[in-house]
Amino acid sequence: MNNRIVIKLPSRMEFLGIPDVVLMEIGTEFSCSSRCLEELGTSIIEACTNAMEHGNKLDEEVEIEIIFEVGEESVTVTVLDTGPGFDFSSWEPSDELMRPRGRGILIMREFTDELEFGRHDDGRFMVRLVKQLGSCGEDES
Amino acid sequence: MKIKERKRDGVAILEMSGRLMGGPDAEAFDEILKTLIHEGCRNVVVSMEKVRWVNSTGLGILISGYTTLKKSGGELKLLKVSDRIENIFIVSKLYTVFESYQDEDEAIQSFA
Repeated sequence: MNNRIVIKLPSRMEFLGIPDVVLMEIGTEFSCSSRCLEELGTSIIEACTNAMEHGNKLDEEVEIEIIFEVGEESVTVTVLDTGPGFDFSSWEPSDELMRPRGRGILIMREFTDELEFGRHDDGRFMVRLVKQLGSCGEDES
Repeated sequence: MKIKERKRDGVAILEMSGRLMGGPDAEAFDEILKTLIHEGCRNVVVSMEKVRWVNSTGLGILISGYTTLKKSGGELKLLKVSDRIENIFIVSKLYTVFESYQDEDEAIQSFA
């Protein structure tokens, strides 16, 4: 069964919510708590924010690509942009609590089970987020 | 993001709706706070009940607002934060900074 969904968005911040809506729709098809979906959705929004802003420099003519791959036990989401990327291995969380920016990676790291930054085969910068479907427990009925 | 403003007992209540994500939202929010401070209203409750999601740049708007009001002798407090958004405040440790209420009366009385 093909469980791969691909969407492309112009680098316009007002479209940031679209992948979240897609994820919630996908989520109706598999057993997963709403918290699990929300955490992944929040992480995707952060990845897309970075891809549009830092990767594609908010150039509306340049698209970001979001690939959802739904497995039996996990969802993998890959976000691609055309920017230079950055070196995740040198990233450290800041201690400055009231900094106005710079929490995106922290949020992605906390809300996913695997987080990977790198270069896609076609040269685009890539963020890969993996969320185990059972990682947040069950919804209360 | 839309912002609806009202006042109660000398406290401004800003009802946000939609998505809180920086950009033009930051300018609009900053402008409203500056006007409120100019009018002498320095205590603000931000109602998050109708906010669907917040990203890290949206958090920056709230932090900037908090700092602006604090410097002018006021406070910014949050109302009706959803579980989804509360989780972001927890992982970013910002829950230690922002007072948050589920009840509007309680939020208003907290300024007394």
